[in-house]
Amino acid sequence: MKRFQKNIKLYIGFAALALAASCKPSIDLDTKGGNPENVDFSKYIAVGNSLTSGYANSGLSLKGQEQSFPNMLAQEMKKVGGGEFLQPYFPAENYNGSGFLYLKALVNGQPELGTVTDHLAIRGQTPDKKPLYIKYTGPINNLGVPGMRLDLAFAPRMGELNPYFERLLPDNETATKTYVDFATTKDHTFFSFSLGNNDVLGYATNGAVTTDATNTLISEQTFAGLYTSFITKLTSKEQKGVVATIPDVTAVPYFTTVTRQALLAGVNAALKAQGKDPVSDIYIKTKADLPRAATDKDMFILPFSSAGLLGRQDLKDPATGVVNPFPYGLHPRNPVGDNFVLDEAEAKMVQDRIVALNAIIKQVADSKKLAVADIYSFLNKVKSGYQINGIAISNKYITGNIFSLDGVHLTPMGYAIMANVFVDAINAKYSTKLGKVNVSQYGGVALP
Amino acid sequence: MKKLLFSILCASPSLLFAQGSQVNTQGVRALGMAGAGSALFTDETSIFYNPGGLAKMDHNAVSGGISAVMYRSAFKESGSNQVYNTRSQVTPPFSVFATFGPDNARWKAGLGVYTPYGGAVDWGDSWPGKYELNHLKLRAIYIQPTISYKLTDNLSVGAGLVYNIGMVDLARSLPLFLPDGSSANAKLTGTGTGIGYNVGAHYNFDNNVAISLSYRSKVVTKLKKGDAEFTVPDAVAASFPDTKFSAELPLPASLNLGLSVPVSDKVDIVADGTFIQYNIYKKLVFDYADNTPLLQDTEQIKNYKNAFSGKVGVNYKANEKLAVRAGMGYVKTPVDKDHVYAETPDNDRIMGALGLSYAINDKFSLHAAYVLQKLKERTVTSPVTQIEGAYKTNIHAPSISFTYKW
Repeated sequence: MKRFQKNIKLYIGFAALALAASCKPSIDLDTKGGNPENVDFSKYIAVGNSLTSGYANSGLSLKGQEQSFPNMLAQEMKKVGGGEFLQPYFPAENYNGSGFLYLKALVNGQPELGTVTDHLAIRGQTPDKKPLYIKYTGPINNLGVPGMRLDLAFAPRMGELNPYFERLLPDNETATKTYVDFATTKDHTFFSFSLGNNDVLGYATNGAVTTDATNTLISEQTFAGLYTSFITKLTSKEQKGVVATIPDVTAVPYFTTVTRQALLAGVNAALKAQGKDPVSDIYIKTKADLPRAATDKDMFILPFSSAGLLGRQDLKDPATGVVNPFPYGLHPRNPVGDNFVLDEAEAKMVQDRIVALNAIIKQVADSKKLAVADIYSFLNKVKSGYQINGIAISNKYITGNIFSLDGVHLTPMGYAIMANVFVDAINAKYSTKLGKVNVSQYGGVALP
Repeated sequence: MKKLLFSILCASPSLLFAQGSQVNTQGVRALGMAGAGSALFTDETSIFYNPGGLAKMDHNAVSGGISAVMYRSAFKESGSNQVYNTRSQVTPPFSVFATFGPDNARWKAGLGVYTPYGGAVDWGDSWPGKYELNHLKLRAIYIQPTISYKLTDNLSVGAGLVYNIGMVDLARSLPLFLPDGSSANAKLTGTGTGIGYNVGAHYNFDNNVAISLSYRSKVVTKLKKGDAEFTVPDAVAASFPDTKFSAELPLPASLNLGLSVPVSDKVDIVADGTFIQYNIYKKLVFDYADNTPLLQDTEQIKNYKNAFSGKVGVNYKANEKLAVRAGMGYVKTPVDKDHVYAETPDNDRIMGALGLSYAINDKFSLHAAYVLQKLKERTVTSPVTQIEGAYKTNIHAPSISFTYKW
């Protein structure tokens, strides 16, 4: 006992060391002094379309919402003074939301898609049989509405036309509330804005065929006016924010996966099996001219492949209702429909329009001292392919890891990388030190 | 499907812990002085530290010890505000030493069974570098029969044969995604063996100043027919057959010079310097028995440099029963900036140690030690994933052993 007392200091020393054993090594973070201009992130709202909502695989699910890029961004903002970020989640038991595409199988390397139809959040139907989703009318920060366009954001009755907007509105506002009113009355301190894509891509994804308000092509003049108006409202209290540019059509697999050569290869393999002569051309309908043979510069849209029309001789002409005996797409007298092809001239027009609109976006952002997340440049970089965290990414369908099965919207990994484009843009503009999102935490396309 | 970058890695932090630092947990007495003391202690643990010192024992002894090596690493990706830590894991290295020899003989034989590697890193599967590594556990058991001979009263020499049984268990994520959204992964487990030797000489001057010189040969552990298992989506399962792999892990040779100087009846000062021939570790190759377009053999460049460590310590015999000690050391890393992998986020390190020995009676004694190593923070770009980030590591190793002598 005497010896114990004598050595008490030693024992205390050992106890202190044992305590140190539980200590982790620490690495300094940049969050201190990471916001020198005191950008107020306390109430961040995300204004935008499907990309903002977390839409993927042709649908919106609870998991997609959780992995939306604004939610990732908000988690990083929290570390430098940001507040709670609320999203209009589907209920836990209705986690599949609208339903979405999934990859059922790979047959000889070709994807076979299925549709998820259980645990949906559908509460009813509109008179014209469109689904109505379970409502969420509480306070929210993620205001992303799939299908929302800049021009339609100013249109009344959008609640009746867009079920994703309808679910966010109280019943008495469905017919009256415009999206711009909805989005600019949230008392926000910071915002992200990514509207405008659908004003061009809605037109392009329908093969440059306009059938209703969701697939018209916006004019530069209209765009400039509405964009300035929306941003002016969002910055009425000198709020800071970040705006996104519009991606190029040639950057997304929706337009780049189904190529003329891939179609010909498929057709000729089938013809060969039947002992028939190969064909060398696919004929397409264009707006301006007579049907012509497609070139490699004409882009077939992704759904054309799964539609399974090519070569069929039992299809009725939509105008006359008479069966056209010529093989579909393989003969000038039965060309591929205009809505399936963004032909060279249409693509050029759309691309030029996107460049012009992006110039307007940058100009408005400059005048309001906003950061610009250049999604146009980002997806063009993805197009040529690169490595991130040991993962090869590109704009290739399925294997590129970035784009979900619909060929337009992103995978969780794609959204994480996109969130980092926003992080970089905000940091560059406002000298903040928002942390980058851990891309490795998010996956690409799930394989069966 | 695009060819995947499929490089699986092995090697271990514990290799470095054992060899790079030369703070082995075999002799708890030396451990209390950060691993210095090869010249001071001529006891059963000399089997490990210097077989040359064994013949100077004037008794026989059996000892058994156990350590809890806690390898704590942290990682922060550049531009991120999130620090990822390795999961807390304790691996218990053990050691058993026994000596045999008639009283007053000039020779002494001994057997050591010890685990020179006692580390494990587990980064988990949500950190940025998960496509490089999830976890690595490596365990090796060395069995070393030893003989030592006293040429003169002052000079003794010894040699031991090292037989190594090594076990490896590692996993990494693959950039393929299962239906639930989780990433695919590869698990490699295997056992290998290697052979080497350990020789040394011990000299003490009449004034009790002692010098220890020892050399450990390299031990190349060959893993054959290890099991490679893959958890991948069914759609690509054919490209990832469960298969066998082989690999070679070289452990470097090292040359150690130790000195002990008595400064009073009660106090000894010791110093050890070690030169480690790490440059044999050029690369790590994994050879799969079955290759597919997605599953290729891998080669990882390591390019280790030769390294050294220096340690000093002081031993204080408080009374007949109790000795206390302390030490510190510095280890130069063999890993250059361009070849830092997640399994060995190595850097130059400093270490401090405290220890004590207590004689319970004439036969039994107890030894305890605590070593803390701190690896300097290092910002590197991963050769595998190209992720830039900062690593920092602390290693805690408390140890305890009992000796019975006769």
